Amino acid sequence: MKTMGRVGVAAALLVVSAACTPNSGVGAPTSSTGTAAASTDPITIGLLTPLSPPGDPAAGQLIQRGAELGVVYVNTVMKGVLNGRQVQLAVEDDAGTPATGAVGYRRLVTEKKAVAVTGQFHSSVNIAVNEVANEVGVPVISTQGSAADITAKHYPAAFRTHVIDPFRASSWLSWIQQKGYKKIALIAETSDYGVGLVNETKAQAAAGNMGLTFDIEQFDHASTDLTPQLLKAKAFGPDLVINIGVGAPADLMLDQANTIGLYPAVPMLISYDTPTRAQWFQLHPSDGVGVYFIAYFSPKEELSDAGTWLATAYQAKYNEPPAYGALNAFADVIVIAQAVQKAGKTDAKTLISTLEDPAGFKGWAAVPVTFPKDGAGAFFHTWIPPILILQYTQANQNWRDAKLEASFSKK
Amino acid sequence: MLLGVDLQLLSQYVIAGLMIGVLYALMALGVTFIYSVMKMINWSMGQFYMLGSFIQYLLVVRWLGPDLWFVALPITAACVFVIGAIVQVVLIRPMFTGGIERRDEYATEITIALLLLLQSLATVLNGPDEHTPGSHLPNFTVGTLPVGGATLAASLGGITALILFAVLLRRTWVGLALRAAAQSRVAVQTAGVDLMRLDMIAFGIGVALAAIAGALLAPVYLVYPTNGAVTTTKGFEIIIIGGLGSIPGALIGGLLLGLAEALGSVFIAPAYQNAYGFVLVIAVLLLRPTGLFGERLRAA
Repeated sequence: MKTMGRVGVAAALLVVSAACTPNSGVGAPTSSTGTAAASTDPITIGLLTPLSPPGDPAAGQLIQRGAELGVVYVNTVMKGVLNGRQVQLAVEDDAGTPATGAVGYRRLVTEKKAVAVTGQFHSSVNIAVNEVANEVGVPVISTQGSAADITAKHYPAAFRTHVIDPFRASSWLSWIQQKGYKKIALIAETSDYGVGLVNETKAQAAAGNMGLTFDIEQFDHASTDLTPQLLKAKAFGPDLVINIGVGAPADLMLDQANTIGLYPAVPMLISYDTPTRAQWFQLHPSDGVGVYFIAYFSPKEELSDAGTWLATAYQAKYNEPPAYGALNAFADVIVIAQAVQKAGKTDAKTLISTLEDPAGFKGWAAVPVTFPKDGAGAFFHTWIPPILILQYTQANQNWRDAKLEASFSKK
Repeated sequence: MLLGVDLQLLSQYVIAGLMIGVLYALMALGVTFIYSVMKMINWSMGQFYMLGSFIQYLLVVRWLGPDLWFVALPITAACVFVIGAIVQVVLIRPMFTGGIERRDEYATEITIALLLLLQSLATVLNGPDEHTPGSHLPNFTVGTLPVGGATLAASLGGITALILFAVLLRRTWVGLALRAAAQSRVAVQTAGVDLMRLDMIAFGIGVALAAIAGALLAPVYLVYPTNGAVTTTKGFEIIIIGGLGSIPGALIGGLLLGLAEALGSVFIAPAYQNAYGFVLVIAVLLLRPTGLFGERLRAA
C-alpha cells in the first residue's frame, strides 16, 4: 500500500503539471456545441496554435490574442451570426509538433464541434493537420504557415491568409538584386519552412539566371550552438546572410554571428517578423540595430474598419499595438464568422464553397480576403498580404518607425 | 589544409568544441554525481538548469546588473541547492524510507513528473518569452576563434566550478562521506553517517551544478522555459560515453562530445551536429558498454 501511495504522489505531480499546460483552459469553452445543436447554442471556432515549445509559443500567444478579440468583434460588433448566435473559441496547443497538431485538430472537430479551425503557425504542423482535414472535411485557415505544400496539394479544406514560400523567396531575391549582392549564405533549420525556403530560393535564382552563389548551412531546430554553421558561412565570404531560424534559433544566430564577427560586417536578413516583437531590443541591445527583417504589413497601410477596431481594442487590452500574427488571427476568425453568416449554416461543404466566393470577406486590410479556387499551385485558396523588408536604424526603435527597404505585393 | 579543410577553420572548430565541452561536462556532472551517491537517475536535471538560468536572470536584471553576474552565480547555486534539498526531502527520500520495493521505477516516475511540473510552471509563470540577463564583457580571441566575453566567462566559470567541486570532494569531511557513499551506502551507514542527510546534500549539490551551468550560459543561450531540454539530452549522452557514476568520465565525456560535434561539423556537415554525439554513444556502447570509465557491477 505504501508503494502505491508513493507512486500516487508521482501521479499527482503529473496531474498538476498537466493542469499547468497552456492548452488546458485559456479561452477554451466549457461546453461543446454542434451543427445539430439548438439554434441559440454558440458556434465554435477552433484555434490550433503553438502555445508551448518546441513550437514558437510567443507567436502562438499573439495569434491567440487576436483570435480572442475576433470572437469579441463577432459577438459585439457583428451581433453574432445566424440570427444572433454567439461565437466561441476552442483552443488547442499544437506545441509546434505535427503529431500533436493532428490530434488537436481531431479533438477540435470531433469533441468541440468546431465548424472551422485556424491559428496554424508552423508549416510542418499545418501540413500534417491538412492531411487529417482532407479526410474529415472541416476547413482549416492557415494563419502563418508559409510552406507551399499547405495549399499546393489543392485540398478542398485547406485555406491560407499568409505569404507563401515562392512569394517570400521572389521578394527577397528581388531585393538582393536591387542591393547588388552576389554571394548569399542561407542558414536554415531543417523544418518544412527552412528546407522549403532554401529550395525555393535556389530554384528561383537558377531559373532567373541571377548569377548568385549560395552557401547552404542547415541546423536542427533544437540546436543552441550555431557556431559551426556560422564559421562555415563566414569562410564562404558572403555579401548577405539570410537567417531562416524560427523562435530562439533566430535570436541565437544573430548573437553568435555577431560574436564571431560575421554580423554586422555582413548584413543579415531575418526571414520573418520576429524583430517586431516587443522584447527584441531587450534580447539584442547591442546587435539588434542594423538587422533587416521581413514584415507583412505597414503601419502606414490603410486598415479596414474591422482592422481599426482590432488595433484600438488590442492597444487598450495589451497596452501595445497588434503585431501581424494577432491581426491575421483576428481576421481569420471574423472571416469564418462571415462565411457562416453568408452560408446560412455550418456544415463543412457549404462553408468551403462559401469561403471560395470571389466577392471575398472583410479582413484586417482594406482589400477583401479572397480564396481563389482557380489559383495555380500554392496560390490555391490563398490570400497573400504584402511583404515588406524593414531595417532597424536606431536602438529601441519601434518597428513601426523602422526604415522601409522594399515592399512587394502579389497582384 | 587537412583533408580538404582549412587549418584555421579546423582550429576554430576544435577550440569551440573544447569550450562547449567544458560546459557539457558541467551539465553531466550533476547527473552522474547524484547517481554515484544515491543510485538513482534524476531525469529532471534539465529543469534545474532552467531554474538556474531564470534565477540568474532575475538577480542580474532586478538587483545586481550585468557587471555583477559573478556575484549572482553563487546566490543562484545556493538557491537551487536549497530547492534541490527540499525536493529530495519531500519527493525522493520516501523512496529510501517508505519501504518501496522498486526504487528505480519510483525515481523515474517522480523525476519525470517533476520535469513536466517545473517546465509547465515556468511556461505558465513566465509566458513564452525569451530573456537574457545581458553581458558587458568584451569579445576575445582564443587562438584563432573570436569568442564572446560571456561564452569565455561561462567556460572559465565552468572550469572553476569543476575545480571547486573536486576540492569539496577531496578536502572536506562531507566530500569524504560522499565518496564513501558512492562506494558503499551500507558501509557508510554502519560507520554512523546519517545517510538521509548525505543524500539531501548530494541531491542539492548535483542540481546546483546544473543550475551553475544554466546561470553561466544564460547570456549565451538565452533564458526560456525549455532551455534545459538540450542539457538533458547532452547530459545523458555524456554519462553513457564516460560511464554512469564516474566523475572523471563526465569530464572526459563532455570534452569528447564537444570535439565530436566540432569535428563532425567541419569534416562532414554542421547540419548533423546533434547526430555526431549519438554516433559516439553507439561506438562507445559497442566497444565498452559500461562507458569509458564505468565499472562492471559484480553480482553476489
